Amino acid sequence: MSELLPKGLEDAFLSAAAELGMCSAAWLFVREAEAEGKDYLMALRDALGRTFPVLDAVAGARLEGAEVPALDAVALDTALEGIRRVVVVGVEAAQLDALVARRGTRKLALLTEAALATDWKRVLANFSGAVEAVDLATFQGWAGPRSALLTFAYGVSGESTHVAPVWLRVAGTDVRTQFGALIAWDVLGLPMFVYPRWLVEVPTSTFTHLLP
Amino acid sequence: MTTVLLTAVLLGSIALQALMPGRRLVIVLTGAGVSCLIGAVTNVAPTSRVLAEVPWDVLVMLVGLGLLTELLAASGMFGKLAVWLTRVSGANHALLVVMFCAVMYLVSGLVNNLTALLLVLPLMLVQFRLLGVTQRYLTWSLGAMLVACNLGGAATPIGDFPAILLLGRGAMDFNDYLTRAAPATAVALAAFLVLVAATARPARDVPRSRVSARITVATMQALHRGLKLDIRALVPGGTALVAMMAAWISLPASTGVRPELICWLGVSAALVGSGRLGERLVRSKVDIEATLFLLALFVMVGTVRATGAFAAMAQDITVLPIPPAAQVVVFLVAAAVLTGLFSAGPSMAALLEVAEVLAARHPPAAIYVGLAMSVCAGSSLFITAATSGPLTQALVERAELRGADGNWLRFGFVDFMPVGALGFGVILCVGIAVTLLQL
Repeated sequence: MSELLPKGLEDAFLSAAAELGMCSAAWLFVREAEAEGKDYLMALRDALGRTFPVLDAVAGARLEGAEVPALDAVALDTALEGIRRVVVVGVEAAQLDALVARRGTRKLALLTEAALATDWKRVLANFSGAVEAVDLATFQGWAGPRSALLTFAYGVSGESTHVAPVWLRVAGTDVRTQFGALIAWDVLGLPMFVYPRWLVEVPTSTFTHLLP
Repeated sequence: MTTVLLTAVLLGSIALQALMPGRRLVIVLTGAGVSCLIGAVTNVAPTSRVLAEVPWDVLVMLVGLGLLTELLAASGMFGKLAVWLTRVSGANHALLVVMFCAVMYLVSGLVNNLTALLLVLPLMLVQFRLLGVTQRYLTWSLGAMLVACNLGGAATPIGDFPAILLLGRGAMDFNDYLTRAAPATAVALAAFLVLVAATARPARDVPRSRVSARITVATMQALHRGLKLDIRALVPGGTALVAMMAAWISLPASTGVRPELICWLGVSAALVGSGRLGERLVRSKVDIEATLFLLALFVMVGTVRATGAFAAMAQDITVLPIPPAAQVVVFLVAAAVLTGLFSAGPSMAALLEVAEVLAARHPPAAIYVGLAMSVCAGSSLFITAATSGPLTQALVERAELRGADGNWLRFGFVDFMPVGALGFGVILCVGIAVTLLQL
């Protein structure tokens, strides 16, 4: 660990990423490190980038002057047109907040399964009852032609993208036919330079919609 | 013979439940049943009389205050509180310890500290993971918070079981207890924190980093970004608590409206005011374990009381060849040690019988507040002496925290001992001093 940063920052990032999502947590860490100076941002990338590829990509982009990508509300509304129920797989705080804000009469559920230790009660408390909890045993109760499965993707490269591992437990061939739409929301919008640990690669053809 | 048998059942049950906490409820309930059988067969304590003498008013207050705590917890106020503390302290390690201790002291005086801990502690552990802490810091910060909770519980007549017992049994009235115990516990807390800061210095080996502090504050805020106070729970709960406090302070005993009735009506009003949530809390959140545990203790203590054993024990203390003040000190030290070994509930239920005899010879308020302070000291001696200790231990284990050196952090019996010894010493000394000043 760099002299500028304390030891144990990996655990801190894991805690944040578990409940905010890799991308939202990365932007938060990058913002706070940069507030102390550019040296700190570079130190953060050096210290954690190899372990957390999303953080590495975000820190690299920020060092080149990139801003937090704006959410494309029009694309979101278009993808969800006609959809009455959405099951979200994975966590990204900024996107979940946007989804809740634009839900209208649409019902939202969050799959409470993840590779990282997550306090789902705390995650859901942020939505004041607007998002229901579902698990692997119950999420298919939300299936239907006007239902969608939505997950977060981390950079699209050619024919493939990366998603949270829990997606593979949800999107089997049998399940895919039960939902009207399978949506991937590219929250990173950047290529990753180091091995995409914590994520799995899936073909983009898995999805019916790919949100920028 | 009956006295020996009933005392053996009481002490045996208390000792066994301390040794086997996982089966404590079955142990004390069986002990209570056996006590009733012995009392009935020997006609020393018929079961109907023993049950009639159970202080139901105390149980009503415990259940009622527990439900009120659950209602306030459902409002999300404890989550807001933890985030506020992080922001105000700037995630400064030393300041966090002091602020959490002060807040938990105040909260424990008003609501059930177990529920408050259960809601605040996980947030505190998240902060520890974000900040990066050492074994020393974890031990002393959590240990100090437990001591602060115990002191807060003893500060008011509604904070914890021992004080509720004094209020419920009419040993002291609300104002009398509050005006004597609150300053004493506040002094003890201040002295304890000063000693912790001066001798243990919990934050001395924690790496300090402004980036880490910034990240901690920002992450805590982000984790709770959408958390809203549930007004439907907060308003009826808060209003009822304020109204009950006002009634406890202002209504004289001559009106016949006793503390437990105020509690019953106040909590009922709060539950009615919170709609369906109130019904759900009553059906699912009554602390049956604590209620049955205390009921069993009251039954066992009641049968022993019927034999006159407690009066004899008090008599033994009063004939010790030492000055009367020293006799009181012996009683207070013994009460503290017994509480450390057997926990507050059993100790207080049994020792209050002895205290009542001493209170006939000395100013009652001095004896009762001294006893409450001794029980508080004993509760702080070992991690197992109060229920909040094992709960904290379990939550720390579940959090799987690692120190800056990469080693797993723990909070067990041995780790807590230096904190407990310091807390025990400070609280007991303050308790004895306060008592002697009033004799």
